[in-house]
Amino acid sequence: MASRLDSSRGRALLLGGGVAIFAVSALQDLRTLAVAALLAGVVFHRGAVRRLGRMARSVVPATAALSLMSIAWLRVTDGHWPALEPFAALLVRVVTISFVTLAVLERVDLLRALSPYATLSRLLVVTLAQVHALRLLLTESRDGLRSRLPRRPGALDVLRNAGGITVALFALSTRNAREIGEAMRSRGF
Amino acid sequence: MHIPDGFVSPIITVPAYGVAAPLWLWAARRYFGRAAAEALPVIGSLTALAFVLQTIMIPVPGGTSTHLVGVTLLAFLFHPLVAFVCESLVLLVQALFFGAGGITVLGVNALAMGLVGPAAGWLVYKALRGVSERAALFGAGWVAMQTSTLAVALVLGLQHHLSAAYFPVPFGATLTAMMLPSLTVAGVVEGLYTVFALALLRRAKVHGV
Repeated sequence: MASRLDSSRGRALLLGGGVAIFAVSALQDLRTLAVAALLAGVVFHRGAVRRLGRMARSVVPATAALSLMSIAWLRVTDGHWPALEPFAALLVRVVTISFVTLAVLERVDLLRALSPYATLSRLLVVTLAQVHALRLLLTESRDGLRSRLPRRPGALDVLRNAGGITVALFALSTRNAREIGEAMRSRGF
Repeated sequence: MHIPDGFVSPIITVPAYGVAAPLWLWAARRYFGRAAAEALPVIGSLTALAFVLQTIMIPVPGGTSTHLVGVTLLAFLFHPLVAFVCESLVLLVQALFFGAGGITVLGVNALAMGLVGPAAGWLVYKALRGVSERAALFGAGWVAMQTSTLAVALVLGLQHHLSAAYFPVPFGATLTAMMLPSLTVAGVVEGLYTVFALALLRRAKVHGV
């Protein structure tokens, strides 16, 4: 893991990263995009393999699936295969933007960088804490369901138990949000 | 349903930020200030629930998947702009930590999924609740989902129209790929979720609902 920057340098990197991804999002020529991708790879070479692996599981399959569907659609409707360069450019653009975004976020402590903005920090803290609590409860609910059934729970089992889980989720997250709110208020937010 | 970074050029993303930013500021001051301290836990909880719902993908024929939005409820309980801010926050967290959606397209996604959809659902709820509340809730959830999906498809269609070299996927392909699962699966499930979730919140007597 790359070392985290202090808040002012973190904000500068966030701003620079934002400008960079907007600039890349304006490119459509494949060669220019390839140069931009190469440049991003050189600048953010630390942790590049792990980052590319993460993207191979998220943005790449979605973009590739949509592109393949579109190519098949165009083959059927137009009667001939479309040019592949725009699809390749789309994929390179998506990958480059994701690569830069992830690289910047690995280097910035987001909560520290956003600390001067009280409302944004408060909303971010509450949301992240909630997401964490809900994911924990979902895991516990799934394990509980598994332990009560002699077989692997199916979709129907999950639906039958959804009511209880939703109420528990909501009650827990409401209490959690109230506690976080009180804790933040007592610390001067 | 989210538009990923790189699918839409700054010709669309910058004006979208221009529209969304004043709304974020105004809504954050109006609904998330100190005066809203009592409502914040409920808002935070529903936002987190929406986040979880949006991570649960429903597989649909053709190898794609769709997901619920879940913020329409916030529009009925508080205001469509509360739903807008909460959905924007969900989209921001997803873009920053989970690689879904993106930063450049945050304004576009927030307007489509957080404002246009929930506002349409809110209008349907207002129009139908005198007839039957359950029908109004279901209709609102269904309409919110279709409106959000259509808005996203229209944005992608506009991008294709502006530059086919930038976004080569034709509007017909985008519309079919997005609306088919939305009309057949996601809309119905979103409508049922809206009815179910509000009933549960009322039964649990959660403060603020």
